[in-house]
Amino acid sequence: MDQYPDENEEFELQYQDELELLEDLPDEFNAYDGPSTSKQAAEKQKENRAPVAALRDSTRLGNSTLGSPQLSQITFGASQLGGEEEAEGTSSGGQVNRRLFGTPKGPPVGRGCSTPFQRMPAIQELENTQLTSRSYGLEKENAAANQLQEVGLKNVNKRRLERDLFGDIDDLFHESYEDPMVKKARTEEQRDHEAIERILELRRKMRESSKTLRKDDVSRLKALHDFKMRNLSYEIPNWPFLAIQRSDLERIYVRFHSEDYEQRQLDLISARGEVVGSLLGEAKDKIWQEAGEIVLSRATAAEDADVTLVNSNANSEPGRLWVDKYKPRKYIDLLSDEMTNRSLLYWLKMWDKVVFGKAFHSKREQEAVTGEGGTAGGAANQLNSFNKRTGKFESNGGWRQRKSRQALNTNVDALGRPMQKVALLCGPPGLGKTTLAHTIARHAGYNVREINASDDRSPEAFKLALENGTQMSSVLNEDKRPNCIVLDEIDGAPRQSIDYLVKFISDAVYTKVKAKGAKAEHNVLKRPIICICNDVYDPALRPLRQVAFVVTFPPIDAARLAERLVKIAFKEQLKTDFGSLIALAEKSGNDVRSCISSMQFFNAQKHSLTLQDVLNNNLGQKDRHQGLFAVWDAIFRIQRPRKTLHTDANKVDEPAQVTMTNTSVTTRVRNVLEVVHSSGDYERLTQGVYENYLQQKMPDPNFTGVCEALKWFCFTDTVQHQISRQQNYSVYPYLQYGFVAWHLLFATLAWPKIAFPTRGFEFQQKSTNQRNIFQALCKGVTTSALGVGQGGTLLLDTVPLLKRILSPQLRSVAVQLLSPKEQQDLRHTIEVMVDLGLTFVQVKSQEGHYVFQTEPDLDALSAFPGYTGLSLPYFSRQLIAREVDLERIRRAAPKGGAPSAPAAKKKTSGAAAQLPNHLQTLKPKPISASNMHSAPKQQLTKDFFGRITHKSTSTNSAEESKTDAIVKSPIWYRYKEGFNNAVRKDVHIHELL
Amino acid sequence: MALWVDKYRPRELSKLDFHKDQAENLRNLCKQSDFPHLMFYGPSGAGKKTRIMCLLREMYGSGVERLRSETMTFTTPSNRKVEVMTVSSNYHLEVNPSDAGMYDRTVVIDLIKQVAQTHQIEISGQREFKVIVISEGDELTKDAQHALRRTMEKYVATCRIIISVNSTSRIIPAIRSRCLGIRVAAPNETEIVSILQNTCKREGLALPVELAKRVVDKSERNLRRALLMLEAAKVAKAPFTANQEIPDLDWQVFLRETASQIISEQTPAKLEKIRERLYELLTQGVPPNLIFRGLVEQLVNNCDMSIKAKTLEFATEYEHRMQSGAKHIFHLEAFVAQFMNIYKKFLSELDMTDDF
Repeated sequence: MDQYPDENEEFELQYQDELELLEDLPDEFNAYDGPSTSKQAAEKQKENRAPVAALRDSTRLGNSTLGSPQLSQITFGASQLGGEEEAEGTSSGGQVNRRLFGTPKGPPVGRGCSTPFQRMPAIQELENTQLTSRSYGLEKENAAANQLQEVGLKNVNKRRLERDLFGDIDDLFHESYEDPMVKKARTEEQRDHEAIERILELRRKMRESSKTLRKDDVSRLKALHDFKMRNLSYEIPNWPFLAIQRSDLERIYVRFHSEDYEQRQLDLISARGEVVGSLLGEAKDKIWQEAGEIVLSRATAAEDADVTLVNSNANSEPGRLWVDKYKPRKYIDLLSDEMTNRSLLYWLKMWDKVVFGKAFHSKREQEAVTGEGGTAGGAANQLNSFNKRTGKFESNGGWRQRKSRQALNTNVDALGRPMQKVALLCGPPGLGKTTLAHTIARHAGYNVREINASDDRSPEAFKLALENGTQMSSVLNEDKRPNCIVLDEIDGAPRQSIDYLVKFISDAVYTKVKAKGAKAEHNVLKRPIICICNDVYDPALRPLRQVAFVVTFPPIDAARLAERLVKIAFKEQLKTDFGSLIALAEKSGNDVRSCISSMQFFNAQKHSLTLQDVLNNNLGQKDRHQGLFAVWDAIFRIQRPRKTLHTDANKVDEPAQVTMTNTSVTTRVRNVLEVVHSSGDYERLTQGVYENYLQQKMPDPNFTGVCEALKWFCFTDTVQHQISRQQNYSVYPYLQYGFVAWHLLFATLAWPKIAFPTRGFEFQQKSTNQRNIFQALCKGVTTSALGVGQGGTLLLDTVPLLKRILSPQLRSVAVQLLSPKEQQDLRHTIEVMVDLGLTFVQVKSQEGHYVFQTEPDLDALSAFPGYTGLSLPYFSRQLIAREVDLERIRRAAPKGGAPSAPAAKKKTSGAAAQLPNHLQTLKPKPISASNMHSAPKQQLTKDFFGRITHKSTSTNSAEESKTDAIVKSPIWYRYKEGFNNAVRKDVHIHELL
Repeated sequence: MALWVDKYRPRELSKLDFHKDQAENLRNLCKQSDFPHLMFYGPSGAGKKTRIMCLLREMYGSGVERLRSETMTFTTPSNRKVEVMTVSSNYHLEVNPSDAGMYDRTVVIDLIKQVAQTHQIEISGQREFKVIVISEGDELTKDAQHALRRTMEKYVATCRIIISVNSTSRIIPAIRSRCLGIRVAAPNETEIVSILQNTCKREGLALPVELAKRVVDKSERNLRRALLMLEAAKVAKAPFTANQEIPDLDWQVFLRETASQIISEQTPAKLEKIRERLYELLTQGVPPNLIFRGLVEQLVNNCDMSIKAKTLEFATEYEHRMQSGAKHIFHLEAFVAQFMNIYKKFLSELDMTDDF
């Protein structure tokens, strides 16, 4: 009855040992470094083990348990008496028991220590004495049987402890692989390429984790097994041995080793952990077991996911937006370009050294670690601290940093960070840039902290948020994930904030040292920062663009977006087809947000989404600005894909009897209106159409189309004039319909040849130059030459003929040698030029020659191609220029006579000053003078009174004589009718005195 | 005083060569102590400006002839400075508002205010008002003409306006009714021939009658143009001969060639070349209405009677539209294309008629 539980225990031991053997065989084979004879012995052992695995296993276990007590008994028996031998044997067993049961975590450590300790004295004593006797064997067999039972019980206890430890490790192991498993499944469903890559990545991760686990927990078992295989054999080996016979009469050969071999064994034990770690990941059995567990966990995860999906559908269906509901939450779900996704993920992984303490380049880093000679204990400490506490996590990071510094990777700096500290995602809105940043950061193990840079506009708030994000972590964060900062809409941030960000990235050490004064701590950037913007070429982003890792978003593939929309429609039970969704994607410019919102809109109306609905609705139309050439292409070219789509529309609209031609024209009109509306510069667009429409190949024999087009140009000009002069913007929309008319008249299927319109601009420039020259000419005309007219009359009538008037035929000789006629002509020319303010000025032409041209330039005015201007030769111009200057000096000479004119004025003023005095004294006379003036008129009218005429003349002469008398002498006599006794004379006062 | 148009210009009403009855009427008008706003209208080169100057001399004496040039600066409501050249004496001021372009409204209002706000200091022996002469009045914009209405009435006590226009059709009726219209017709052939002969006599030259008549025909009875042409011919060849070449205006020759090219070929490529030539004319300052008239005259002379009416109809239509637009090249090219259209149809119908 006692033997029955023993058999059960042996069965369990058999099962576990089989697994261990299967796992350990390739490792042993690879790692065995002994001589050739040892290898042959190992091979023989394998061959012997293959046919009778079960029996050999059980017998081996029994031998192993018997071996150690036998060795100990032999040694004691040889040295001392039989009775004392028995007593000592029991005491040694008691010690072993106490050690094993003394501490709960002690058993593996104790066992690891006890085995080599016991082996060493046994080997030495055996070498000294080689006595063997059957009688001693029999007594010892009895004692061995008792000890065997005790050892078996102890072994059972140890195995249970290992199970507990291993079970926990397995749980941790499986939890870490949940996400990649889900993603792996989806990749297999979607694309082979991604699936292969992800499988490889998962395998690498599994190897790493399996290696780390193996080092920690299974190394002891493996070491023990290796020891047994090298030192025990069932057949006669080549090395020196001691033959021992068990109770079932089977012989066991125990190996003898020299002292040198003992030293080598000690060295191997010290290096064994690394070897084990490096080889464990490639064990097939382990991988198979893990695969099975993965499948089981995936099934359970799928069930949980289904349950959660059902719950979420039931709960959040009424009021949740599809844009949030179907947002990508895992790396597999991202719609953007895979290269873009991988490049950003690679950049984030480059931060793993600094943030997580992981090796970015796994193979090189691991070799470096092994090369450094780290002990298994050190590795265990490292892993333990990673699993348990966060405090030692940083210290491990520092340790890794030292290693990576020695590696000197060109893509990272001395601290292990990537050279580009910031990633800058740029692209048009609606492509999923923010979603990509969040998903990849979460996938890489970060806690995403988003800062909308356009909301926190002040530099102080920006600085505070940036420092808090990089140097703090959330207390409520149960996952203990480090922060990754996402600066959304960075192009809306003020320039000061971006400047601070650039300093924060590059000069963090300097600023911190300055800020903290004497402190030696350097607060370097240890967290990645992702910036998102729409326009990467914004002036404010220039300093950031130079130091950042710029990721440009290409447009999303319409087919890929349509596939995603099909899935969403299927889940939400919206009836639609793939073609309609492709049209929706193309219409919105592959804008994910716009497409999903449009689908939700149609679902709310409880209609099925058809191609006609997509084409007819204005949903998804964003304010997109197109270039000038794109608009001109749309005007001069008929787009073929539109026809194809309308063919489908035609089929759909068969009940409505919509014909092909009408649909086509309608679509063309709508397309042109949309394209023209997207770019608002109608005047420039009109100029471009005007300068290019005559070069289009059009079958128009009678100019009917050209006339129609030009009528529309006149209409556009009238409306444009109305807008600019009257500010009547209510007529602004009518400008678009001119483009529709030009499209219908001149569009073809061929590719149009369009040149940028420059003639209008050149025309305006030339007109401005002509106007300026003409104004200069008008200002130069003196007041004595007003007969030439003003304004347009001067330009049209005078200037063309003036060129001929100023072109006399002169011989190239000196002035004095000219004929009288030539001199007269020369004089005339000079006077005309001075009157009009013209002269000849010597300038250098473009060819380098010196020429005389009029100032202002008459040759430029009214200069038509094929018509000559002034026809004077060089010498004549030079001569006339000199003479014109002389004439100007001569005309300015009267101004030199100015000093005489003031003198004359003074004299005249003096005379005027004197005259009033006389006039004042003669005041009564003017009245009589006026009377005399009237009198002669009367006389003249009356011809019969000749005497009156004489009287008037006599009075005039009398006045003159009186004035003379008054001027000459002080005495004057005035005759009055009546008394004559008054005589007046001037008397001086001094005569009276 | 070198060009003949200035050298032999009459300075007094009594010395005018033609329209002597009108001169007598103007002299009688000056004898009154007051006279209304005046509008001299007639074709270019008929002597409107000469008569205005003679009238001013009759009113104010020889001091009117002491002229000085001045650049006046005006500020528009949008704080933009506009410079305008003016010629003035102590008694009058002469201005061409079309130099200011679209800002002529500001020029007209501010100028009249500046002149009218200063009363005459010494009234004895002189008029109580000053005179403002507006040249090229038909170039005024509608806004400027409307602004002139109230200004003319408000400052009538101290300021009188004399407007010189080529055609009264472009003057608004309100301005026409406030002015006394004085028509200055172009001189006839006999009068111009006698004027030319007198000028040559003073210059010591012998002018054949045949040459004088040819000059009159080429100048289109424009006296200024005739005198300038004669002077240019004299420079080219001193002793006048009856059959010598008379120099022509470049833009007229260019326009004539353009019309002949339109007749010769009607293709899109040719239309593009015509556009270049029209751009050239507009660049050199030829007014678009003159281009229209020149083209119409040449095209009508060179095409069949049946399409003359259509040509004139389209020309009037497009010219009218051009007044309400800003890009004149559109309307000019539209007219050219339309003429090409009807001419091509005419030619094709002609071919069909020949076949029948």
